[in-house]
Amino acid sequence: MRRLSSLAWRNLQARLLRSVLTAAGVALGVAVLFASLSASATMDAAVSRAAADEMGHSALRVQALEERGLSRETVALVTKAAGVEVAAPALERKTYLAPSAALTPSATLPAPVTVLGIDAVAEPKLHDMPLSGGRLLTAADTLSAVITETLASGERLQIGDPITLNGAGSGPTDFSIVGIVAGDGSVPEAAGRLVMVPLSSAQALFGVTGVTRIDLSTGPGVTADELIGQLEATIKTEPYLLARTSDIADSLRAETADFRGTLLLVAAVVLFAGAFLIFNTLSMTVTERSREVGLLRAAGTTRSQVMGLVLLQAFALGAIGSAVGVVAGVGLSSLALSWVNSTGPISLDAPDISIGSVLLALLIGVLVTLAASLEPAWRAGRIPPVEAFRRGPKGAVAGAARLRWLVLVFAVLAIAALAVWPSGSPGGSGATLAAGGLTLSFGLLGPLVVYGLMLVAVLIVPVILGPLLRLAGIPFRVFRNEERLARSSLARDISRTTLTAGALVMGLAMVVALGTAAASVRQIGQRWLAETIPGSELLTSIHPISPTDPAIEEIAALPGVKSISPIALFGVPLGGVRQEAAAISGKDFAADGRLVFVPDGGDPATAFAALDAGGAVIVPKSLANQSDILLGDTLTFATGETQTKLRVVGIVAHSLPGDSQEAVLVGWTDALGPFGATGADFFAVRYQPGLESAARPEVDATASQYALESADLGSVRGTVGDALDRVFRLLDALALVAVLIAGLGLANTLSMSVLERGREIGVLRAIGMSSRQIWGMVVIEAGILGLAGALIGAVLGLLVGGLLVAWSSGGFGLTFDPPWVSIALAVSFGVLISVTASIYPAGVASRQSIVRALQHE
Amino acid sequence: MRDGTILEARNLTKRFRIGNRDVEVLRGISLKVQRGEFVAVMGPSGSGKSTLLQLLGGLDRPTSGDVILDGEIVSQLSDREATHLRREKTGFVFQFFNLIPLLDVYENVALPYTIAGVDPRHGAAAARIRDVLEMVNLVWCERNRPDQLSAGEQQRVALARALVGSPALLLADEPTGNLDYATGGEILNELWRSCDERGQTIVLVTHDARAAAHADRVLVMGDGKIRDEIQLGRRKDSGAGPLIARLAQLGL
Repeated sequence: MRRLSSLAWRNLQARLLRSVLTAAGVALGVAVLFASLSASATMDAAVSRAAADEMGHSALRVQALEERGLSRETVALVTKAAGVEVAAPALERKTYLAPSAALTPSATLPAPVTVLGIDAVAEPKLHDMPLSGGRLLTAADTLSAVITETLASGERLQIGDPITLNGAGSGPTDFSIVGIVAGDGSVPEAAGRLVMVPLSSAQALFGVTGVTRIDLSTGPGVTADELIGQLEATIKTEPYLLARTSDIADSLRAETADFRGTLLLVAAVVLFAGAFLIFNTLSMTVTERSREVGLLRAAGTTRSQVMGLVLLQAFALGAIGSAVGVVAGVGLSSLALSWVNSTGPISLDAPDISIGSVLLALLIGVLVTLAASLEPAWRAGRIPPVEAFRRGPKGAVAGAARLRWLVLVFAVLAIAALAVWPSGSPGGSGATLAAGGLTLSFGLLGPLVVYGLMLVAVLIVPVILGPLLRLAGIPFRVFRNEERLARSSLARDISRTTLTAGALVMGLAMVVALGTAAASVRQIGQRWLAETIPGSELLTSIHPISPTDPAIEEIAALPGVKSISPIALFGVPLGGVRQEAAAISGKDFAADGRLVFVPDGGDPATAFAALDAGGAVIVPKSLANQSDILLGDTLTFATGETQTKLRVVGIVAHSLPGDSQEAVLVGWTDALGPFGATGADFFAVRYQPGLESAARPEVDATASQYALESADLGSVRGTVGDALDRVFRLLDALALVAVLIAGLGLANTLSMSVLERGREIGVLRAIGMSSRQIWGMVVIEAGILGLAGALIGAVLGLLVGGLLVAWSSGGFGLTFDPPWVSIALAVSFGVLISVTASIYPAGVASRQSIVRALQHE
Repeated sequence: MRDGTILEARNLTKRFRIGNRDVEVLRGISLKVQRGEFVAVMGPSGSGKSTLLQLLGGLDRPTSGDVILDGEIVSQLSDREATHLRREKTGFVFQFFNLIPLLDVYENVALPYTIAGVDPRHGAAAARIRDVLEMVNLVWCERNRPDQLSAGEQQRVALARALVGSPALLLADEPTGNLDYATGGEILNELWRSCDERGQTIVLVTHDARAAAHADRVLVMGDGKIRDEIQLGRRKDSGAGPLIARLAQLGL
């Protein structure tokens, strides 16, 4: 066997170009896989770190569901609950540093800061606050503040400096900086811009009496679950959420789970494409060497030895390719992480490169290579000794063999994917790929269906290839003879052609599918804002302000402004889960008239009037369908001891967007009453027709004076779209690696084909075909194959994209509207890659000596 | 035989580099072939006869010397010009038929037209293809692919393809080398008839005396040179007796 192994090695060396191209294909596949695993592990670690930072040493967090927060009574009840050792209540709000309010009217607002009002005694017991200077807050402090190192360096603040915070209650208040804590602090969403002040001072600053959360540690011998039971029995007066560190980590993890899942799906598709390359190459080599194998068999080599020989070659290609792939994957992972870093609340560090992920990528790379080589190895073992006496190469790979092989590789990859599937993505629902409030959401079943669909599509290719080649040949008919010969050559071995096109089909299908999903999500985002916001500009406040605030009245009175409508977003407890709700002015929406009611969804005028009167709710169609809500039904909200019951007065096609679902619409009476909203989060500004451009500068300047950030709907749409584009572009780029692998496969197949057809090409040259015509024939062959593969890929991609869109509808009712220009570009790219891959083999074919070619066997 | 030289070789040499050494396959060969003449080239393996045929047909270039085909110096033509010359003035028949397996009989025969950009399904080209298919008696199988034909039939297709463009020169390299005795005889008769009835100029390379006996003249090669020339003359009887006797005298 040792000598045979040297034969395997020599065989790889003898066909160096083919070996290099195949190993490069494996390397590309493993690089994407490694980048996917590494990015996933990095996100996972970052999520755990963020959850740990947020919870500190707490066992449990009691989170207010309503905007007004948990009342003093509730805080007292929780603090005194049996099993509670330390209770650290805190109020979290966003605001601007005071100097920003004095900016010139045209200036844009700076980044806000997060103010955390804390219990100076309890908080340090549950959250580490490593000081880089000064001291922590004490119980005696009132107008003292501790800031983070990040904020201090960003704003050039020092200990002893005053820091003036804009408030909603008492107006701007001066605090004195007494300490600086290292790093970003314990609130991930603050992105390092965190100011900690005494709880009572924070409550006074923002004019509230409640707290947003209470962190708890348990006494000796008390578990978090026991404490949960205790609290559930104790607090019945207002709605709240209970979360352990693991719950917070799971919730954060769920935000990235589908992104990681999609990365893994793309990696699986790219590896599958790599498997096509390996299978095709080894298959061709076995066919090419059938006489040599026959000789070995005639000389006494056993079937298993011959199989071993092929598997050994595959192992060498897989090991070398995987090793190179891991190295390339490190770079790819860094690029991917830096590319997506700006899309989520969690900050990502350098890629996580553990020995485990390196070994896993190597193992999967080699396993897939071996799985792809099993069929050719098995076939080589069955070459009879009599083959040694035959002339010329053997025939095509049987269809059944291909089926066996495809199913085998599919299974290996599916099992590998299941083994490393990201946690936090329960099958079917929940997990989302979120960007700018829009989501692409699916579970484990979705990717498996997509993956299986690709397998089925590739298995169908041989059936439709004939007519498809004729169709794909049409653009090349200008070169009639070359096109005819090229097409005939492709039809010669349907199996090989299918496998060569297979990688291209899958790569492009993935690109088109992701593009379709991205376009649909982006488009619905645009339509949805335009359909639901009663105005062309939004003024956003970082803390709720009263709908009747003098600032709003001042802006409403500016020339050119037709109306200014207050909107608040908050959570309400419905059916045991958090439902997003929006408080709106029915009168404004009725006057605007753009909200679309579904047929039998109620009369808009009546519904809006009922909303303003109170006791009424308008629900979006998505929620109505999901929960079987009908017009006239009564929805019960668990707002405390006395439940709030609202009558459904309307069902709308699309409602205002929340963080992850469409909001139910309630009137301001209910919002400020039982639901505990404290004010509007943003105001929709509608201008008099034709006066917007003249009136806007003054509106923006006035808004800026009151720390309201202005943005027109176009820029909101742009932000949402940009965030989505970054994520989808990354996935597209990774999927394009499969197309590159297809290019390598094509170069391999065409090189082999040119070699096999040496004599045929010699004859064509001898009877008058010019070298340019030969060159053209090979290039056209690649062009036809590329176009055929790209067309199948595009159709498959549209199908998969449609499924992704359907699964991702979430609360927003996505529509399927494929980006035809992008699809045409993807198809062109597929053809371009194919044609590029053919340049070398075409050159070899055209330069071939006629005499040598005629001597070719 | 008609008057006029159609093919001339002047002092042809051809050297190949094999490993570290140069091997001189042809050593100064000169010959003339008259229009309508049937010339056979014989010789043992390695004597250079196939190399000579390749040079004469413009498939390869001589190391030195010239090949003049129908007034054009083939050895001085560019690749493009040589391609056009082959397309217009030569036809080849090979030992292993060399048909395109994906094309049917008609398409294989039509290949020279297809390559030249002429539609082989219409007009004069279609008529000519039909003529040659009738000539080699293959009309019945024009839709068949090569692998559905016998070896003799495949070689007749190859002959039809070589003749379809009415080439000035037909070059045949061991056309019966892969055929049984009877089938090989049929092919030789076809060649002879095309020469005798239609004035086709033929250069045939063979080591089979029976094949060479159909020729008007036999050039005997050895060690890269023409060692002898045997005039057999045009005759109905293609018996190989006199030729074999002469070859025996030469020790071949």
